[in-house]
Amino acid sequence: MASATDSRYGQKESSDQNFDYMFKILIIGNSSVGKTSFLFRYADDSFTPAFVSTVGIDFKVKTIYRNDKRIKLQIWDTAGQERYRTITTAYYRGAMGFILMYDITNEESFNAVQDWSTQIKTYSWDNAQVLLVGNKCDMEDERVVSSERGRQLADHLGFEFFEASAKDNINVKQTFERLVDVICEKMSESLDTADPAVTGAKQGPQLTDQQAPPHQDCAC
Amino acid sequence: MAHEVNLHSLQESERETILQVLYRDREIQNVEEERIRKLKTHLQHLRWRGRKNVSQEYKEKSCARCQRALGFLLNRGAVCQGCSHRVCAECRVFLRSARAWKCTVCFEDRNVKIKTGEWFFEERAKKFPAGGKHETAGAKLLQSYQKLSKISVVPPTPPPLSESQCSGSPSRLQELGQFKGFNKSVENLFLSVTTHMKKLSKSQNDMSSDKQQPATGPRQSAGQTERRSQSDTAINVATRKVSTPDLLKPLAQESPKRTTSPVLKQEDRLSSPAPTPLFSGGWRHGSLISINSTCTEMGNFDNTHVTGEIEFAIRYCFRAHSLEICIQACKNLAYGEEKKKKCNPYVKTYLLPDRSSQGKRKTGVQKNTVEPTFQETLKYQVEPAQLGTRQLQVSVWHLGTLARRAFLGEVIVPLATWDFEDSATQSFRWYPLRAKEKCEDSVPPSNGELAVRAKLVLPTEPRKPPEAQGGTGDQPSQNGQLCLVVLGAKNLPVRPDGTLNSFVKGCLTLPDQQRLRLKSPVLKKQACPQWKHSFVFKGVTPSQLRQSSLELTVWDQATFGVSDRLLGGARLGSKDEPAAGADACPQSKLQWQKVLSSPNLWTDLTLTLH
Ligand SMILES: Nc1nc2c(ncn2[C@@H]2O[C@H](COP(=O)(O)OP(=O)(O)OP(=O)(O)O)[C@@H](O)[C@H]2O)c(=O)[nH]1
Ligand SMILES: [Mg+2]
Repeated sequence: MASATDSRYGQKESSDQNFDYMFKILIIGNSSVGKTSFLFRYADDSFTPAFVSTVGIDFKVKTIYRNDKRIKLQIWDTAGQERYRTITTAYYRGAMGFILMYDITNEESFNAVQDWSTQIKTYSWDNAQVLLVGNKCDMEDERVVSSERGRQLADHLGFEFFEASAKDNINVKQTFERLVDVICEKMSESLDTADPAVTGAKQGPQLTDQQAPPHQDCAC
Repeated sequence: MAHEVNLHSLQESERETILQVLYRDREIQNVEEERIRKLKTHLQHLRWRGRKNVSQEYKEKSCARCQRALGFLLNRGAVCQGCSHRVCAECRVFLRSARAWKCTVCFEDRNVKIKTGEWFFEERAKKFPAGGKHETAGAKLLQSYQKLSKISVVPPTPPPLSESQCSGSPSRLQELGQFKGFNKSVENLFLSVTTHMKKLSKSQNDMSSDKQQPATGPRQSAGQTERRSQSDTAINVATRKVSTPDLLKPLAQESPKRTTSPVLKQEDRLSSPAPTPLFSGGWRHGSLISINSTCTEMGNFDNTHVTGEIEFAIRYCFRAHSLEICIQACKNLAYGEEKKKKCNPYVKTYLLPDRSSQGKRKTGVQKNTVEPTFQETLKYQVEPAQLGTRQLQVSVWHLGTLARRAFLGEVIVPLATWDFEDSATQSFRWYPLRAKEKCEDSVPPSNGELAVRAKLVLPTEPRKPPEAQGGTGDQPSQNGQLCLVVLGAKNLPVRPDGTLNSFVKGCLTLPDQQRLRLKSPVLKKQACPQWKHSFVFKGVTPSQLRQSSLELTVWDQATFGVSDRLLGGARLGSKDEPAAGADACPQSKLQWQKVLSSPNLWTDLTLTLH
């Protein structure tokens, strides 16, 4: 796809409507894997070593410029703690894409990936796009989950895979941009499979339904 | 999902933190809804244009979009896969990803689906067909809060720039310090919620330590709290004053007007003329049902109980022939959506009897307030002589999501007795808002009366006395004709100069949907035209007529190639749709029956135009 250049449109103008469309993205994963840090790095380019566990949910908005379009991202940061689960899962339904995160220095967080993926299957739409992210790859010394295991699990679950570091700003932007791209792909697919001329697939009724039935107009 | 979030399991401070997030989200949703509404309106316009073209030129082969004639060999056009209409080469848009194309309207449709996120809602509905298509988790959570605390969760007005900032958690203080405007609304929210909770339980000290972070940092913000007092919530200003005097101080200087986001107002202006194109004459011969159903005045609004007052001034500039209605403010309005305690009011005016879209003026929409300040002037060009024949109707409406409107009350000022030269009458006054007249709710407003004379002419045959027609039906051979003399019309919605270039169209729709159309000549420069023109519909039988409907519409001819303006219409005869019942009043129904049952005799009818 076209070369991405965000930051040309900063976040400042995000309260206006100067964008083409809006995507909603959810970040999930065990507590302390670095979800909030990841989002802060992306949206504000900041990082703090202090750990403040997220209460319930939070979000940030960032408008990026991608494939000639201004896309407003509403990125939801969920609390990893179990006690907020009812609140966080309520947000799965509104998300077009997910970042499922584990911590490469934390075996338990990796083992939980399967469960998180099941949550997505349960609560989200069928075409939910998921990127698996192994965070804290700056801490090579304390690594307990190899890249290979991460990649294998991602393949198994049908997700794309990145290793990243919120601290050292590795693969953060790339993760979000890739997710935006796959959502865009899904979007085109969803709109154009309704068009038999393109794929020959089932004719979705959507397009014709949108039109006023022609016979209504020309009874004369 | 179906599960209800149990907020009781959370600590109070946690609930507050989450509530802030919910409010920030709500602001974003509001802006988003507004944007989407605009997009959909735009698409609607495109469709209407397309429809008009199709019905107009259907017989000749023409492009459904731009209406250009299509040839038989060259430029034959092709059928769009999306809508099955035939369109010319120019009205096709090729998709970037594929070699396929769509017609301009279908392409725009696709665009709108992308831009509004509708593609996603549709996909999602496949998995969750039950739940509300556009419902958000945030909205549901807010409801849970409402149940929990019994406070009316009125969102604070969107601050101009807030959404790019993230609330963060309490101890990310360094970062928060950098967020200059750290969400003004959150602050306000804190005020409202904490104050309320304070009342319920906690000591003030506990709370202030909880909310220390938004209260620190540069405080040129505030501003939003004023809104609270406007929106009738349980929290009163006095309580707040005690607990947070520092925050409250700057409020006095803030006019409530400023708190409304200028972006939103602009949007409303842009999108407000939504139903206009239909009325400005796009419908050359659409059926009256469709015309009526699109009128916001009639169908698409909720009725609320009416409270409150509106302040405005009326001025007339004799030199410029311009009537100015200066809409100042409203107070104590009813909520447009009582349950959600939502109210986005705007004001609309007409110079009755003209209810056409040309005669409509609107203010911008104020958000989330029952005490809006408008300070807008709505102007009309009217001849002095015309003024006396008009009534100024000033109505207040709530604009809800997806363009749903609710009527909040109206004032009608007869201008006949208005002394425009007296400066005392030019000052601002408060007028109590009133409910609509009963009959107006169900019956569309009148746009004048049309006098016609009608006769069913049947060949007189000895074997069949006229009286028998009604019961026995008729032979196919027995062709008659319907003769109609359009005498004249009065009380039409005239132009600003008090005249019209009017003509009448008659359209007889037979049971097989065949339509016979006739048109009168144009009578220039008359307010009460007397056409005395006769329409003759030939080759119709009485039984056919009993199942036919006759539409008579009065039009004002366009001056410079602009579309003709529909002034009003009436329908006679069958069609059992409920919608038709409204315009065929019982009286004209009887008269029509008389026409059909007494052939070869003239019957006079007076039709009310809608
Ligand atoms: N070395 C290193 N530390 C990180 C990285 N990302 C986050 N951390 C640290 O990990 C801790 C937890 O980070 P958070 O982002 O708050 O974790 P979280 O996933 O949001 O946790 P919950 O909100 O409880 O779900 C913090 O102390 C961060 O400083 C990283 O890429 N590298
Ligand atoms: Mg977090």
